[in-house]
Amino acid sequence: MPVLLRRLVHLLVVLFFVTLFVALLTSMLPGDPVDAIAGFASEEQKDVLRQDLGLNDPLPVQYGRWISSFVTGDLGNYYSVSGGRPVMDRVTDSLPVSLQLMVYAQVLALVIAIPAGVVTAYRAGSRGDKAANATAFGMLAIPNFALALVLAYYVGVELRWLPVSGYVPPGEDLGEHVRRMIMPAISLAVGQIAVYMRLLRSDMIATLQEDFITMAKAKGVSPRRILWRHALRPSSLTLLTVAGLNIGTLIGGAIIVEVIFSLPGIGTLLYEAISARQYIALQSLVAIIAVGYVLVNFLVDVLYAVLDPRIRHART
Amino acid sequence: MPGKRPRGLGVPRATRGRGFKRVAAMAVLALAVTACGGGGDDGGGGGASSDEDAGTPTPGGKVIYGLEAETTDGWCLPEAQLAISGIMVTQAMYDTLTRPNAEGEMEPWLAESVEPNEDSSVWTIKLRDGVTFHDGSELTAEVVKNNLDAYRGAYPARSPQLFIFVFQPIESVEVVDPLTVQVNLSQPWVSFDATLHSSGRLGMLAQAQLDDATSCAEQPIGTGPFKFSDWVPNQKLTAERNPDYWATDAAGEQLPYLDEIEFRPIVEEEQRRNALESGEINAMHTSIADTVDEVRTLSEAGEVNDYEPDEFGEVTYLMMNESKPPFDNIKARQALAHAFDFEEANAILNAGIVTQATGPFAPGNIGHLDDSGFPTFDLDEATRLVDEYESETGKDLEFTYSAVNAAATIKQAQLVKEQAEAAGMTVEIVTVDQSTLIDGAISGDFEAQGWRNHPGGDPDLQYNWWKSGSPVNFNKFEDPEIDRLLDEGRTTAEGRDEIYEELNRRFAEEIHNVWLWYTVWSVATAPEVHGVPGEGPTSEDPFPGIASGHPVGYMWVEQ
Repeated sequence: MPVLLRRLVHLLVVLFFVTLFVALLTSMLPGDPVDAIAGFASEEQKDVLRQDLGLNDPLPVQYGRWISSFVTGDLGNYYSVSGGRPVMDRVTDSLPVSLQLMVYAQVLALVIAIPAGVVTAYRAGSRGDKAANATAFGMLAIPNFALALVLAYYVGVELRWLPVSGYVPPGEDLGEHVRRMIMPAISLAVGQIAVYMRLLRSDMIATLQEDFITMAKAKGVSPRRILWRHALRPSSLTLLTVAGLNIGTLIGGAIIVEVIFSLPGIGTLLYEAISARQYIALQSLVAIIAVGYVLVNFLVDVLYAVLDPRIRHART
Repeated sequence: MPGKRPRGLGVPRATRGRGFKRVAAMAVLALAVTACGGGGDDGGGGGASSDEDAGTPTPGGKVIYGLEAETTDGWCLPEAQLAISGIMVTQAMYDTLTRPNAEGEMEPWLAESVEPNEDSSVWTIKLRDGVTFHDGSELTAEVVKNNLDAYRGAYPARSPQLFIFVFQPIESVEVVDPLTVQVNLSQPWVSFDATLHSSGRLGMLAQAQLDDATSCAEQPIGTGPFKFSDWVPNQKLTAERNPDYWATDAAGEQLPYLDEIEFRPIVEEEQRRNALESGEINAMHTSIADTVDEVRTLSEAGEVNDYEPDEFGEVTYLMMNESKPPFDNIKARQALAHAFDFEEANAILNAGIVTQATGPFAPGNIGHLDDSGFPTFDLDEATRLVDEYESETGKDLEFTYSAVNAAATIKQAQLVKEQAEAAGMTVEIVTVDQSTLIDGAISGDFEAQGWRNHPGGDPDLQYNWWKSGSPVNFNKFEDPEIDRLLDEGRTTAEGRDEIYEELNRRFAEEIHNVWLWYTVWSVATAPEVHGVPGEGPTSEDPFPGIASGHPVGYMWVEQ
């Protein structure tokens, strides 16, 4: 079976199990969505509403109805007493915000971590390496929400360099958009920088012991060229894997960072859906995240082949 | 024009450290999300403060108002579930038929007159002529009738919830002439005009919005000072000046003063204050004690204007389920009341700034008593009552305390547990999300919870919270004396002070709730922003309460 097809099947299986699991979990939560949207209604009114919303149907029926709509691009409606709003309306506003935040955080983390990892590997054991490692541990130890608040206070309030909350789309004002995304992106990125740097450093140290590096040195290739052209690529596979897997961590971090910086992203939407027992919305949001997660990891798999000719040749 | 300092803020306070200590506190608060059910910390005791000497309002400018929460349900008012943030927004776009004056008495607002018959069982609402909605349609008796029917569940296009109970005494609403509506009630209701205000949330919708089956919640059309422009949930709601607004201020100047108002939900408390301090927003509200305290410090430094009335507030309390053990037994309720050490709670939870509540009515309200006879802290008495309960029932006095999973409410729950256990009770804290807390309250699936409710206004507005059998009588108590007093207060025009004072004393005697402290909300604005809390309907003196928000049509910015 071609890789692409296998991955597609993988994606569908993951999606099925993730959404089924979410459906099972939400069905086990205490309380009733109807109480959340019509708390003061009479029992008769609530029964009618449950019937209208399909909440009286068995779980497999509810799940089947949802998944068959989801695969056609219909994310369902928010539960409401009078005609629910489509979940898609909110997702189209929120998804770009979260994607931008995660991409900026990931790019920022990689842009800083890769050179830092390469240099510390090359200078392993030096004072600079030790300082960088200590800093990395310090960065790992800071929860992103705490960093977010510290940044907001010192950078936003004391120094007044950047706005502390709110979102502006890039199409409306690119400069303002960047200004508003810097602190959230840094808050999310800092923990990742430490992880990526440490990973790359240890892989690079191992690579720098390889025979082909010794050969390159013997041929008089410059250290810079050895590091960036010969050692970096084979040392990046673990980094790439972790960067893909870290999408989940980023989503988790984005929820709290979005709330702190008042960014109207998927994290905020998820929080809202959980709080208000909007199970259809919750299932659709989780499914979107699951699809995104599997797709990113699929891309990582494809990139393996680009980075390492041995994998490419093995696959062919 | 220089920014004017607000007047007296009560006892001066030492300026707090604003470096690492504050950042550490911020990290703790980061996990706290807005939870009206759990309430948490409330301000108070600071005395009224405002910038009423700011000078003559100048038209123009924009206010960006930081709200504590988003109203995800939207703005289809008969169906919406609105807390204070939602009511703030609705007051920008909608008008109510009545509005309270400085004493809390109702005066006509969108109506020209609201008059009862002799026994207050029929109310005649005469509307102002020439008022138009933002879509250009006219305010007529027909539209007002449809609105009232929509709120009470008699208009097919809408599916309301809460107001079905509130408006139960309405038998019919009739159009008398194009500008007159008659409301026929099944019983005398002397404070019906207060219900027409309902803490500012009973706005009148345009016919087009009432009939909008798909976007009633997203396309608000009112008669208010600002016209809806745009709403991106969790980001902002913007509204622009209504050039055809019908109202003027007491000096005859056209309202509103501002060109535009933007509401931004910033649920993280510290971030809302940071946004104000950094100039990103220029107005915000809060009821978190630490923030109120910080705002006072900023106000003393001249960095913000702080409006913080000590009248018509809400009350924070422990709500007990009287439909099952242990709180079906008055001894258990008495024990818990005696075990509550206010001084300790004030110091630990409230930065020492709140005042102790002795009843459901905050200062300023009809029925308020400085001393209602509510039990005071007495650990020995609490211990004795616990022993009595246990020997009487043969069971330990133990209960679960449900609290919203947020830093402030958990802290409150822990203190309640500590104080109750010092008297010999056993308390298990159960953390839940806010929906579960409210569901538990509605279904009676709880033993004790922390709540904040009963904002200032006519005490009859609390009728459904305490009436036997009401679905929102969450304590599930059935007290014929309370029922009698509620009915008497509703139907008797004379002697209402005494009626509600008696009701207050009855609450203290039966301990249907353990009253903790009075909430004081604070509205903080940039020094150049003025006009909070506005004016009264017919005079310059405003209704001072802000527990349910305040009018925004009077806000202005120095130009």
